[in-house]
Amino acid sequence: MSAMPIEDVAIDVMTDRPWITLVWNDPINLMTYVTYVFQTYFGYDKPKAELLMLDVHEKGRAVVSSGTREEMERDVAAMHSYGLWATLQKDD
Amino acid sequence: MFKSGLSGKLTLKLDDAELGVLSQLFEQMAELLEHPESEAGADPLAKMLNMSGSTQISEDPALARLFPDGYSDDEHASADFRRFTEQDLRAQKLAALTTVRESLDGWIGKSSITAQQAQDWLKAINDLRLVLGTRLEIADEVDTDFEADEPGMHLYNYLTYLQGTLIDALT
Repeated sequence: MSAMPIEDVAIDVMTDRPWITLVWNDPINLMTYVTYVFQTYFGYDKPKAELLMLDVHEKGRAVVSSGTREEMERDVAAMHSYGLWATLQKDD
Repeated sequence: MFKSGLSGKLTLKLDDAELGVLSQLFEQMAELLEHPESEAGADPLAKMLNMSGSTQISEDPALARLFPDGYSDDEHASADFRRFTEQDLRAQKLAALTTVRESLDGWIGKSSITAQQAQDWLKAINDLRLVLGTRLEIADEVDTDFEADEPGMHLYNYLTYLQGTLIDALT
């Protein structure tokens, strides 16, 4: 595995990923369902999906993905298709 | 309950009462989704440009839950997001419902669905739970234990159980 040059990483963080998708806690969606959606749509492994789900559940919301605005609009629309309560915003 | 079967299929045994209730619920769900919310759809140009989607979140809490805002802090961006995504989202939800309703049409006792169909079942059952849960004003997880006498709560709990077994069978 080759390492990415440091300046490229910095650019990646600064310009390519300034938007985030947030999933908000709600009283209806099952914890197992939310975990399943994170695994299925984002391709996250089960431990990561469960950690994110617990973040949503306990902290009220979690950042589930980051990227361009267009990518995040796609992710939010996908979350809505699963019935998850998601929004996007600029990452401050 | 759903069980994982041979070659990725999932089996589900439903008695006549369950079949009747589920068919009715999914039919009502389709009616809710097919009902156009705004008259903007009547504008043929907007329709041609695929811009006939509404820009406002629904005043019906259940529809607002199915079609939430895309931005929590930007009304204008939310309106644009809704205009360009809501119709497609509605079509996706209706397509999932159609899959489920077509399966139920020919359902006899214990039948099976494919893994592909299971994805539609998962979404359709969840949408139904969202609508019912919102109508029942479920505010936190423990609410589901209360007022179990209410018929709506029975249905909600049944759907929760069904979805739980579907997720178990898929994972």
